[in-house]
Amino acid sequence: MSFLFGGGNRSVEGSVDPAKIEMAVAELDMITDVFNRLVNSCHTKCIASTPNNHRYVEGDLLKGESVCIDRCTAKFFEVNKKVGERMSAMGSAAQASGSFGR
Amino acid sequence: MDFSQFNGTEQAHMTKVIEKKQMQDFMRLYSGLVERCFNSCAQDFTSKALTTNESTCVQNCTDKFLKHSERVGARFAEHNAEQMQGK
Repeated sequence: MSFLFGGGNRSVEGSVDPAKIEMAVAELDMITDVFNRLVNSCHTKCIASTPNNHRYVEGDLLKGESVCIDRCTAKFFEVNKKVGERMSAMGSAAQASGSFGR
Repeated sequence: MDFSQFNGTEQAHMTKVIEKKQMQDFMRLYSGLVERCFNSCAQDFTSKALTTNESTCVQNCTDKFLKHSERVGARFAEHNAEQMQGK
């Protein structure tokens, strides 16, 4: 850290904070992973439920498929939220009861 | 992701990192799509060449997947925007 510009949150021009970069990269990786899973899951649910034998009738999305995709993404995010809530609840319960409780 | 905490050097670094990841993501998309469309469409192994039906199937498969991915991306961005506003 340079002494010329003093402390505070403003990062010094020209320096790279590796910890910050690492966190940003980790966040980016997580978001990308979620997106890829979402695309694959909703494709299986809404378009080709039999991946090894699906007949693609046309290149555009059918009306039903479009609607399904919208609902599928909404549900995916709800599930994401619920799982997160549950896991953090379990995490704090485990902390509260120490290693003995369940 | 909040870029206001990054200085110029860090932003430039992140831009390069993001570019590289986009390239890798594109390659993954491509090979994933090939596998997906092959699994769905290639059914007739009485000849080496793709039949007309299989060929059309592959075209439709590719188009549909890309449109699907686009739509999911739009919903994803909408959701993220809502999340940002909610905070």
